[in-house]
Amino acid sequence: MENERKLTIARAMAEAVAQEMRADPSVFVMGEDIADLGGIYGNTRGLLAEFGKERIRDTPISETAFIGAAVGAAQDGMRPVVELMFVDFFGVCFDAIYNLMAKNIYFSGGNFKVPMVLMASTGGGYSDGGQHSQCVYGTFAHLPGMKVVCPSNAYDAKGLMTAAIRDDSPVVYMFHKGLQGMGWLGTEPGANVHVPEEAYEVEIGKAAVVREGRDLTIVSLGQGVHHALKAAKTLEADGISAEVVDLRSLVPLDRETVLTSVAKTGRLIVVDEDYHSYGVTGEIIATVAEHDLAALKAPPRRIAFPDVPIPFARIMEQYCLPNPDKIVAAAREICPAGAPAA
Amino acid sequence: MATDIIIPSDLWEGDEESVITAWLASDGATVAEGALIAEIMTAKVQNEIAAPASGKLSILKEQEAVVVKGDVIGRIG
Repeated sequence: MENERKLTIARAMAEAVAQEMRADPSVFVMGEDIADLGGIYGNTRGLLAEFGKERIRDTPISETAFIGAAVGAAQDGMRPVVELMFVDFFGVCFDAIYNLMAKNIYFSGGNFKVPMVLMASTGGGYSDGGQHSQCVYGTFAHLPGMKVVCPSNAYDAKGLMTAAIRDDSPVVYMFHKGLQGMGWLGTEPGANVHVPEEAYEVEIGKAAVVREGRDLTIVSLGQGVHHALKAAKTLEADGISAEVVDLRSLVPLDRETVLTSVAKTGRLIVVDEDYHSYGVTGEIIATVAEHDLAALKAPPRRIAFPDVPIPFARIMEQYCLPNPDKIVAAAREICPAGAPAA
Repeated sequence: MATDIIIPSDLWEGDEESVITAWLASDGATVAEGALIAEIMTAKVQNEIAAPASGKLSILKEQEAVVVKGDVIGRIG
């Protein structure tokens, strides 16, 4: 019998990068502490030993320089995979990201490709303060020109990374720290799943229904998917059957899967660890409202991070974060008690 | 005959407590000798545990359990 092969998201990411590097000499990796240390999230572990310092490059702490360099390398025929260690650091390098990386395909009339992957860690929950704990999914997804993906489990993490490296457009690959399998950042057993050894792609722009339900649709991404699955289990005991949609990609956004699910259930809760206003939650609700308001049997709800900088104090941060209890409470408000008729 | 999965005394330096951060096989799954089955983190360094035998895995200490060297964290039978 085949050995079960569960991987953490960290291992799945490293495996995808290694396989693409073996197949394609133009793929290389750059970032802070990604070589000797193997990445502070474990997602480049083992790569230096196999590929050497020429292709696995530790950089100085200058995101402006190395992300700008990656854009140039990508336009010149390479396929860089670059890590922005914390997405919160985007402030110092955003010109390279959204004026160069995101726009140069358009500015060149399609004469340049920018086949690069920008990996960035997201999320909090481990008391690292407001400049190391943000998600800013909506910020990146809002600005045109970049694909944006965010895996919730190791299978999707590997397939999305493989697809991102092979893509001729820039892909922002946002991975939640709490799902990496690094204990001090939190652990989530549900993120560690069986992963085939051979290379495969998970199509960018396709959501997944990870749990089928009848009464309520919960849409989320990254760590929120695990909150949603736990909430769905609790709600089952109340006779409320919740469907869970894992967006997996924000750009392109798979609106069809969301609409199909809500057409079936008539109720919608969107869960996102990014800030409440002007973000992913509002976009999903707008998608449903624009399409068919009559599909909704109850006002949609969003569970997101309140519009405040993320607190350092554990009790305050935990109060602000989405969690299964908040989803359950919202669901009980919009679903009639005791197995509502469909 | 069952084989205990024991945390080796040389897995990390010193005697500090560590944490099982991931099981890479499920309870009850069949594993092959030498396959990577668990990760144990000591002071932000991740150590690896390989299956000491082939067979069916029984997990005795779950993910997030605090462990020390010599602990039996599972069994392969």
